[in-house]
Amino acid sequence: MDAFSAKLVVKLAQIEGVENVWAANEPPREWIDAIRTYAPYYARLFSLNPRQDGSALFDPDKLGSRAEGLKQALLSPQGGFVKAIAKQDSLLLSLNGFKDMQNQFQRQANLNSGGGALILQSRPAALDSDAHLRLQAAIRASFDSLNQSAGEKFRLSMAGVPVFSVAAQTEISRDVTLVSVASSVAVTLVFLLLFRSFSALHWVMMVQAASFVLGTLATALVFGYVHSLTLALGASLIGICTDYPIHVMVHCAKHRHPPLDAVRLLWPSLAMGGLTTIIGYAALGLTGFPGFEQIAVFALFSIFASLALTRWVLPALLAKSTLHSAHLPGIAAWAGFCGRHRRGLLSLFATGVILAFFTLPQLRWMDDMQKLAMDMDQLKQQDEAVRSHFSSIEPGRFVLVQADDIETALRRSEAVERRLIMLKQTGILSEYHGLFPWLVSQDLQAENAKVYAQALTPQFQEAWRAGLVKADLSLDKLGRLPPPIAEPLRPETVLASPVRHILSGQIIEGQNGAVLAIWLGEHDPVKLAEGLAGLEGTRYFSQKDQLDQLAGQYRDRSLLMLAIGIAVMGLFILLQQRNIRKVVLTLLPSVASVLFIFAIWSLMGEEVSFLHVIGLLLSVSLCVDYGIFFMDNRGENSDVTYHGIAASTLTTLASFGALGLGKTPTLPILALSVSLGVTLGFLLCPLLIQKPTR
Amino acid sequence: MKYGLWLLLVLWPMAGLANEAGLAELLGRIRYNGSAEFSYQETRKLELSSSPWNGRGMMLSGVDGSLIKLQLQPMRVIMVSTEQRMYYWDPEQQQRHSALIAQAGAAGEEITLFRSIIQGHTEQLQSTYNFTHQVHGKAWTLRMTPKPGLNDESAPTIEISGNEDDSKQQVLIRQADGESTEYLMVKTAEGPEVEKSIRRLLLEAIGD
Repeated sequence: MDAFSAKLVVKLAQIEGVENVWAANEPPREWIDAIRTYAPYYARLFSLNPRQDGSALFDPDKLGSRAEGLKQALLSPQGGFVKAIAKQDSLLLSLNGFKDMQNQFQRQANLNSGGGALILQSRPAALDSDAHLRLQAAIRASFDSLNQSAGEKFRLSMAGVPVFSVAAQTEISRDVTLVSVASSVAVTLVFLLLFRSFSALHWVMMVQAASFVLGTLATALVFGYVHSLTLALGASLIGICTDYPIHVMVHCAKHRHPPLDAVRLLWPSLAMGGLTTIIGYAALGLTGFPGFEQIAVFALFSIFASLALTRWVLPALLAKSTLHSAHLPGIAAWAGFCGRHRRGLLSLFATGVILAFFTLPQLRWMDDMQKLAMDMDQLKQQDEAVRSHFSSIEPGRFVLVQADDIETALRRSEAVERRLIMLKQTGILSEYHGLFPWLVSQDLQAENAKVYAQALTPQFQEAWRAGLVKADLSLDKLGRLPPPIAEPLRPETVLASPVRHILSGQIIEGQNGAVLAIWLGEHDPVKLAEGLAGLEGTRYFSQKDQLDQLAGQYRDRSLLMLAIGIAVMGLFILLQQRNIRKVVLTLLPSVASVLFIFAIWSLMGEEVSFLHVIGLLLSVSLCVDYGIFFMDNRGENSDVTYHGIAASTLTTLASFGALGLGKTPTLPILALSVSLGVTLGFLLCPLLIQKPTR
Repeated sequence: MKYGLWLLLVLWPMAGLANEAGLAELLGRIRYNGSAEFSYQETRKLELSSSPWNGRGMMLSGVDGSLIKLQLQPMRVIMVSTEQRMYYWDPEQQQRHSALIAQAGAAGEEITLFRSIIQGHTEQLQSTYNFTHQVHGKAWTLRMTPKPGLNDESAPTIEISGNEDDSKQQVLIRQADGESTEYLMVKTAEGPEVEKSIRRLLLEAIGD
């Protein structure tokens, strides 16, 4: 294994995206070389607790064994390394601060006695999935070529954030393709089933394609990039945008109106429907969930383009198309049934509403954001298996230290490290990776220097010389213990050296000050957080807790946006209708469906996340269109209007249903919420909105 | 005079051939392929030491190319060099280290060099060292000096000497910074028993 690992290290180091690679159980050469550069500053960074450690470090009685230890170190295979340090730092004080690091590697060596665990530091950032996809392919190719010559005896497993980000990216790309294709095919099939016209399909799809392109361009202009999920959800928008031409075509087909006349007739309803849908997407964008702003901008421009093209371009395109509007079975029957049994059904509806309200307190909210994460059980098992070969650093949990400047941040992080040492002693924490002694505050350097200078008494110097004589070491070269170097080791000097690679990921310096990260080994989160209480600028960061907190915030915000969205839609409808009863009736089917869906989830014990709420928000923005069309009934034929609504419900179900095929949990949740919402809203329209007469 | 010059020109290549043959023979004599055990006395002159340091112990060379230095005096220390890895175990100081030779920097290079010298695999050094040898009666000396222009200023000069008794050798390694290590080695055993000892000492050094 050792031989294979050594060859693999050499081969991996040649890959373009690899910054450094080394066997996990020993520090890379760069670290050893970096330690050597600290020798001149030995008196300034030997301890995190110089006053406490000074008594043992500068005990004259121990200097004999210290000198003997130095002699043995000089005779050991590491003699060359020790000699270079001892010439500047004969007491080897500069190595004292690095003892913990040595212990960590020793523990690592015990875990990885086979020598198969390697650490690879990449040049691209962990979340740069494209670069990591290439890098991981290159790593696998290097491994495979070596393994082939070794008789296929070895197996490669990788762990780390980039492995997950690449897997997520791959899944999302798969979802985008699947959802886009399925959604387009489903909408096309529904359209052909309804209108049986390839010519009309061709023109409508042209309109949708143009809307899609405009939405993509606008998103790229506003954000500078377009996320894959925007395109996946954007594909479902095709189904929504198709609604506008569909209403026009249903009226054309049923009433034999020329397309231009039908568009003029329906335009107020179409415009209001489009506006309420835009409001729904705007509310979605304001929930604060990353990425949804992009989807909102995409929707805004796509819907706007689709509406404009339907109004001013589509009539000309459809002029020569022959449309056959299919008679959808059950539509007229359901509308008739609602008309005949309105009273009874309304009583049933009212009872349902009351019961639904009673079930709401039982609603279970999903507070664990992990449940919304992609299912990567296999990858997680692989990650755990790989991590078992490494000394444990818990991913996603660390201590963040913040200050206005690096010096203050360092002082604070040193205070944190002192606490962490105590927590280690009590067993609350297994280990940690701080910045000491790679980076030491000026204050601590001064304190170290003071303790050292105080210890440097003539008696101490004499005892050291006696120790050297006893160990047969050179008095000339090792006997003089000079005072501390006057100039402290400054962070900018350290960070200009290769040490910056060692500390990469632990220091963020910006206009708002400096943030330092201290990585943690296995620990008790509650006790550790308690242990750090009272330390200024210090925060125990748990990614899971943070995400759970965010899940709660998003949920509250999405509920608020749902309410605001409904209110704004109501306001716009009021401005058009100028009749409060009509507004209430228009909104009622969609609002009632939301209530019933929440009640159903309550009874089923479904854990409801903010994504469920966002899905319902979208369903409301779509259902309100149905209410508007049904209420307006501009063709003065409610059967035709309801057929138009049925057709658009089918295309919406086809496009949003396709989201359910996605493996990214966000997509099936949205698919379920929107599909349930529009179906219920569609069914409630003829019941709640009395058959309009003109 | 003319005749003498002519003779010199004719015989010069033959002298070179004889020289090459002598070197090859010498390299063959110092090479060990099987397992062997040596007792050794070591004298080290360190830059930071006031007087030479003396140690003694056993050196064990395995058929797989591994080399174990078991220092017995002044204190017991085991140093192991396998093909890929080196181990160090000092029971008195409770110091145990291991490192991949390829990643151990100068220490790794020194260990590799030392193993090549002790096991007589000097052909591995021919790309980086110039070889000269001298024979005086039954005594011989093989001197290896770093080839100039190799950009390795720390490469040591090595001198291996012996006589008609192939079981005894003297190795002097002189570092560029003036430090030196001298070994007086006597072969004491060969065969499977040595391999057993190697395995035992390797396990002890690893800590199993």
